[in-house]
Amino acid sequence: MIELDGIYKSFYRKEALRDVSFSVKEGEIFGLLGPNGAGKSTLIRIINKIVEQDKGYVSFRGKNLTQESLKDIGYLPEERGLYKTMTVEEHGIFLARLRGLTRSDAKMNLQKWLEKFQIEDWSKKRIEELSKGMAQKVQFICTVLHEPSFMVLDEPFSGFDPINVALIRAELSEMKREGKTVILSTHDMKSVEEICDSAVMLNKGEKVLEGKISEIREQSKEGKFAIQFQGNMIAFANALWTGYEILDKEVLTDDRFLVTLKMRGENTFNDLLQTLLPHIRIESAWEVLPSMQDVFIKEVTKEKEN
Amino acid sequence: MNKSVLIAVRECKERIKARSFLLMAILGPLLVLGLVFILFAVGGSQKKHISVLVMDPYEILEGKIMPKEDPSVSYDIINDYVDFEPFANQNEYQKYDLGIEINEQVVKNKTVKVLYREKPNSKTEIKLRLHIERRLEEIMVKEFTTLSVQKFRAVKQPINFKFFDTYDPKEEEDNLAGWAGFFFGAIIILFIFLFGMTILRGVSQEKSNRIIEVLLASASPKQLLIGKVFGIGITALFQFLIWIVVIGVGLFFLRETLFPDVFDPSNISFQQMSKEVARLTQSRLELNARDYNDFVELVYSSIRFENMLPFFLLFFVGGYVFYGSFFSAIGSSIGSESDGQQFIIPILFLLVLSLFSGYYAIYFPSNGLTTVFSYLPFTSPVVMLVKLGQGFSANQSWHIYLSLLTLLLAALFMFWIAGKIYSNGILQFGHRLRVKHLFKWLKKP
Repeated sequence: MIELDGIYKSFYRKEALRDVSFSVKEGEIFGLLGPNGAGKSTLIRIINKIVEQDKGYVSFRGKNLTQESLKDIGYLPEERGLYKTMTVEEHGIFLARLRGLTRSDAKMNLQKWLEKFQIEDWSKKRIEELSKGMAQKVQFICTVLHEPSFMVLDEPFSGFDPINVALIRAELSEMKREGKTVILSTHDMKSVEEICDSAVMLNKGEKVLEGKISEIREQSKEGKFAIQFQGNMIAFANALWTGYEILDKEVLTDDRFLVTLKMRGENTFNDLLQTLLPHIRIESAWEVLPSMQDVFIKEVTKEKEN
Repeated sequence: MNKSVLIAVRECKERIKARSFLLMAILGPLLVLGLVFILFAVGGSQKKHISVLVMDPYEILEGKIMPKEDPSVSYDIINDYVDFEPFANQNEYQKYDLGIEINEQVVKNKTVKVLYREKPNSKTEIKLRLHIERRLEEIMVKEFTTLSVQKFRAVKQPINFKFFDTYDPKEEEDNLAGWAGFFFGAIIILFIFLFGMTILRGVSQEKSNRIIEVLLASASPKQLLIGKVFGIGITALFQFLIWIVVIGVGLFFLRETLFPDVFDPSNISFQQMSKEVARLTQSRLELNARDYNDFVELVYSSIRFENMLPFFLLFFVGGYVFYGSFFSAIGSSIGSESDGQQFIIPILFLLVLSLFSGYYAIYFPSNGLTTVFSYLPFTSPVVMLVKLGQGFSANQSWHIYLSLLTLLLAALFMFWIAGKIYSNGILQFGHRLRVKHLFKWLKKP
């Protein structure tokens, strides 16, 4: 759908992006991750042709990204902004027409979205009359009003209450079902795990991770395992002896425990199970994959330590 | 539809719907009318009755002046010439407030000399102009043309009245026409300031509420800037149109209340006119008494409005784009809405300078500095309108075209500069604007 190849961007002496390349496949929700100041906003602005890259190439549907491509792109910026004195209807129609829709199509689509979000009675309200959350909803509608097949959403959940977060998430899932492509820039790693198919992570203007979410978590695993068992905790610890390191212990009932541990040396998961089976009754055991939150923190702190 | 047009239409709608637009459309013309009222009703001699000695050694006026029955002016006509000193000092002339000299050249040079003891107020001045000019028109029609008075008035050149203080007889320029031009120039500057500030506020608000990011993802900075400047410019012209209508209607009522005697047909003595002229004049008065001699046309009789208005529009557009570019460049560069106040001061200074230059041009129309001002894009919108008011001779008309061309080219150049600063500065937030930023953004491709 969209491919970025060797993107460089500097603002005077400060390098904002250095040799960033990745591609987003059609129909996937793609996470754009990174700490503040990593270069995400600059990258998003390049994708939306708000700023031009110094070097590199952006292709959209196999062709060079042009102003014309923007008709098929929806953009929800992190810093929301609407004209306060315009009504919801005027605003929606104005932005949709800027994206190439006719007035009647814009009006029809707006009506459809207002009905979908059950806010038809807002259409004649001025933006300044809306609460922050309401204005966020309007901004989201304005982003998708021209029915783009590709969307760039920068922190789409911020400012929403949990009900509206669920609403937007459901919308994203539906878009995915419809085969639309979304770049999602967010710090909400739980959402990334739940909705994104793939992600790229930037830090200090450089790409540090890329791939499918499951692959990224797999790549970052540290040999941690969790065992839930019934039996004696001392017997458990004695059985493991020096081959394993207990990281965490949770007492579930008097004789039931959940322990997280890490292998030492060449031990495998099977070795662990064989060692424990004579001493305790294993209820469940699994390899602990790092959450995206862990991956994020690890990558960012790793960079800092270096 | 073109994106710039969409943006311009939005700008227009937003500005016109704003309460301040309506307020300005009402208060602005009222203020102007108030000033006109003050200008004509107050100032100068407040004498209720004026005695005028008309010196007509060549008997051009044939011993007659139309409105004998005007209770506020009485004329005595002598077939002799009285110089400044005797008029000032000799007892026999002390009863006259004014002396009007009609010399043999009047038909050729269209100039009438007026001696005064105390400067007459504008209302009296207008009356004198009307009375003398009308009588001279009749003479000229009778002597030199086969035209009707009505037709002659449409094609004639206005008569210049040169005023002299009889106690200190330095020549005073007939500045009325220049002031009329200045009035138009001042309107341009006022509108440039008001709507320039609108551009600045509009751009900086879009920047601070971050909608600019959504807009830039739909349209290029150039399209945005063109749309904004064009849209606000149309709003300004619309506002001006309202002013013209309100001022026009206001002047009509002002004429009715402030100068009823001048326009009252009963004040014109038809017995004193030649039969032909009397018939024509009477029939015209009867046909359309109200339309007869529009007040504005009378006051600014030497201005050709059919020339003034198109040039007003062109200089307005040029000046607005030129100065508007400064305002938009600053609006797009500032880090926050409160930032950038110090950058408005130099623009204000330039606008005040342009007003001063217009004032200067009224009193020193041929001065070298006036020539410089008339080609400087900062000052030409006012100076050239003053000069237009004063009148150009046929072989000098290239001055105005050259000045206009210079202004329009400078406006385009400034707009290009503003476009560069706008493109590079509009997405910079949170900084404190310095001059070096402007240069930095200007250098960027």
